Amino acid sequence: MGTLKVTMIDVNGETRTFDNVEEGTSLMELGKSNGVAGIMGDCGGGCACATCHVYVDPRWWDKVGEPDDIEFAMLDMVADVMKDTSRLGCQIKMRDELDGIEVTVAPASTY
Amino acid sequence: MATQTTEDRVSERLPLSPEEERLLKEGTLTDRAVQAHPRDYFRAMRHGDPIHYDEKLGSWLVTRHEDISAVQSDPITFSVHHGYHDFQARGLQAEFRAFLQEHGGGYFPDAIMSDPPYHTRIRKLMENAFTAHRVKELEPRITQVVHDLIAEVVARGDGKCDAVKDIAIPLTIRIIVEQLGLDHGMEEQISRWSVAVTAQISAMQSRETMLENARQIADLQNYLIAKMKEKEANPTEDMISDLVHAEVTNADGTKEKLTFEEAVSLCRATLIAGNDTTATAIGNLFYVLTTRPEMAGVLESVIDDDRQLNRFVEEHLRNEPPVRALSRSATKDVVVNGTKIPKGAHMLLVYGSGNDDETVFPDPRAFDLTRPNLGRHVAFGGGPHRCIGLALARMEVKVAAREIVKQMKNMKLAIPESEITYTPTVATRTIESLPITYEPR
Repeated sequence: MGTLKVTMIDVNGETRTFDNVEEGTSLMELGKSNGVAGIMGDCGGGCACATCHVYVDPRWWDKVGEPDDIEFAMLDMVADVMKDTSRLGCQIKMRDELDGIEVTVAPASTY
Repeated sequence: MATQTTEDRVSERLPLSPEEERLLKEGTLTDRAVQAHPRDYFRAMRHGDPIHYDEKLGSWLVTRHEDISAVQSDPITFSVHHGYHDFQARGLQAEFRAFLQEHGGGYFPDAIMSDPPYHTRIRKLMENAFTAHRVKELEPRITQVVHDLIAEVVARGDGKCDAVKDIAIPLTIRIIVEQLGLDHGMEEQISRWSVAVTAQISAMQSRETMLENARQIADLQNYLIAKMKEKEANPTEDMISDLVHAEVTNADGTKEKLTFEEAVSLCRATLIAGNDTTATAIGNLFYVLTTRPEMAGVLESVIDDDRQLNRFVEEHLRNEPPVRALSRSATKDVVVNGTKIPKGAHMLLVYGSGNDDETVFPDPRAFDLTRPNLGRHVAFGGGPHRCIGLALARMEVKVAAREIVKQMKNMKLAIPESEITYTPTVATRTIESLPITYEPR
């Protein structure tokens, strides 16, 4: 059990708060293991499927940072629902600096 | 995990033309002509009877994107374990298993073709080897292998080759062989083994064919088992060494070593899945480059733009998915999109149809790099069984696309398109041989 806090608004708009998140846990792992709607994590955290797509609350964006090229390539595959604050949950690993972070789960890509 | 199998969701059926009516009545995936050119059959089902019982095949064909997505996100109701193993070598299963027991070191159920929670543990074990970041590190080596192979072909100097047999197949085999730590120079053998394993996937076959396939699989297993023993004693930096020493982590945090049976099955699955389907994707790339006149220009225009090249690869996988259908079995009586499926029934998720679903991909036959939802294609499946090697597959196709353009131009089919033959299987749509001519660049 860790002590870090994460707030996730799931794809249905329900707010889920976790305050015992361990350092190193990814937002995908956190969402998937707690059944947060919209977080599928099909590829298992490999940055290869875009089924853990979240929008980072703008207040946290600078701390979270930009996606790298590999992650951007996956986000580009769901361009219809991509925003400036899009990240893949599997690539955001919890650390002290992110204690309290808020993200919203992105809807699935349609067209 | 979603277990609402959308019992009350019923989407609209569309009116069919007389030709489509006929296809629904008479078409079957057991027909080699339909296997080779299935799109009309798929469209008729998708429009008029989206979950269609193919009587001759004995399978329910799930053809709409929405239904494929619903089924693959519910791995408990729709079992991969039963869908794969109960229907392997259909009708001849006891003899198939006995043959492998006697001649192939044992019958090894495929550990990854299983259901949660068992599947979750096995899958976890395999995932780290295949992340997009790990695959990116392999890019220089993959580029070297692909460059050298195409250069060898071009150096023959005759301006012709078999794009499938001389390039696509050896290319993917050379790469997975290095990853696993197997021997080079066995391309033909590994290719034969791959065909034999794939042929067992829910296909109807004669006893003779089944036995020939079983002989190939026995050879494959004996080869792998010897390699595994070697690496058990002297581990090297490769996946087989990792797998023979691997431990799976249970839900309670305790660890267990993989059993010998599990390890053999995972080495086998990685070797086969790691070459056959990607080779098909690269063979299909040569096919579109030689039969759709505008495609070579499209590829050339994106070759130095990484973002567009990634989109090219993804749209290619949507447009010509190598794996056209994979199995599930209903673990209870269930209704999907208004169609009743009985417990124990065999189902096929028809990815080749889902990727053509007009309600998700407008004008699906167009090759459109600008699609905003490319990531929704189901060429890699989806849900917990989504292809684990997807990042490696994408990378191999991407590097191949780049190297083809760098070394070859003016590629043309050297046989009439009507003479192209496809591997007799329902699982993949694989060109067997593709003679082409080209000019070196």
